[in-house]
Amino acid sequence: MKKITIITAIASLSFASAGLVEDAVKLDVKKVCDVKANGLEKVIAVAEKYNPEAIKLGVEFKRLGIKNREYIKYTKEAIKAKKKETVIKYKKKGKEQTKKFATDFAAWRACTFAVRSLQLHAESQKTWRMAVPGDGFKY
Amino acid sequence: MKKIVIASLVAGSALFLNAGDFDAQANKDRKALQEYFEKKFESIKNANIYFPYTPKEELEKNIIWGIKGDDFRLGSYAYNKNGKEQYEEMKEMPPYEDAIDAGKELYEKKFKNGKSFKDCFPDPAIKGEYPKFDNNKKEVVTLSMAINACLKANGEKPWKVTKSKMTDLHAYFAAVSKEKGKKVHIVIDSKEAQEAYERGKKAYYSQRGYLQLSCANCHVQGAGKRVRNEYLSPLFGATTHFPVYRLAWQGLGTLEKRIKGCEKNQGENPHKPGSKWQNEMIYFMSYMSNGLPVDGPDIRK
Repeated sequence: MKKITIITAIASLSFASAGLVEDAVKLDVKKVCDVKANGLEKVIAVAEKYNPEAIKLGVEFKRLGIKNREYIKYTKEAIKAKKKETVIKYKKKGKEQTKKFATDFAAWRACTFAVRSLQLHAESQKTWRMAVPGDGFKY
Repeated sequence: MKKIVIASLVAGSALFLNAGDFDAQANKDRKALQEYFEKKFESIKNANIYFPYTPKEELEKNIIWGIKGDDFRLGSYAYNKNGKEQYEEMKEMPPYEDAIDAGKELYEKKFKNGKSFKDCFPDPAIKGEYPKFDNNKKEVVTLSMAINACLKANGEKPWKVTKSKMTDLHAYFAAVSKEKGKKVHIVIDSKEAQEAYERGKKAYYSQRGYLQLSCANCHVQGAGKRVRNEYLSPLFGATTHFPVYRLAWQGLGTLEKRIKGCEKNQGENPHKPGSKWQNEMIYFMSYMSNGLPVDGPDIRK
């Protein structure tokens, strides 16, 4: 019985995982991550929904030394505190660093990074062979 | 009866073929890769196919044409004329010599239990044999992992894959392997090893990060093209010369460290050095250099 429960749990997790990537593929990034049209809370919620999956798949985006999970964490804090500026703390070569962004911009970036990382993951499953000499790559 | 004999013979030969055939695809991939690079750098006549955006004058002035096989162990210096000149000058006073000596000391130094690395690796000329696939543990074992396994087995703390002790010992193993004329010899001898190779290959050719770059964008299709003032290096021969002293690092580093840097440049949160993902990619990359001479440690910009 225990085994069946574990297998069911693993199976449902895998389905959930595949589901999130499939969901992300259907999204129009420009629309779902538009802060003006959707508001900050909704946009950061999209990022929060999809980024953990990107982490799990090993495809999380990172820019300027900042992981997307850090964009999300500090943008959420700024939204909660109603601050127009998001201060992101991160580590670079073991040293604490900070960078400031407009909260609108940080939310947009967190959202686009979360969705695009999963979309790119899905695309790459179909395209990678096209670059292999002796396989899909013709020259 | 005749039918049964024929069927048994067919089944038997299929079994025999399968048993030794786990590297058939990898071998095909390696040959195709070598052929691609040799054609790419065969002659300036093919430049419109491989270098459509590079001015002809630059190709005439800066690229060495007609390179083959073993030449690629030098990475981009195989075809980068100016870079090769600078490289040869740097090689007159190699900045990694101290690391080889330090690695030799580490190799001979006794652990607390009186044993040493010599007991784990009686012949230090092993650089070309790693990564290996451990068919019992069902995982890729890089040289760094084997070194750490030796430390653990002797009651010592493992080293960080990217830190100096590890690179020094790598440097010593590479130097001895080079001196003895060893070649890269990666083995794929089981279904699981073949699957690990395939996962590594897929990871190498998959686009990743916010820049949507795969490793191949720069080091297969992009190899020989110029980015700012540097010529991109080829996948074929990429693992032969590690560990490398990089001017950008101002020090010696392992292939694990270099891959981490590449991933960062692609705009992705890099996988941990020593992770399964990275080890399998190194397994694939190393297989692509099979048959080339071990040429490390070396210098790169």
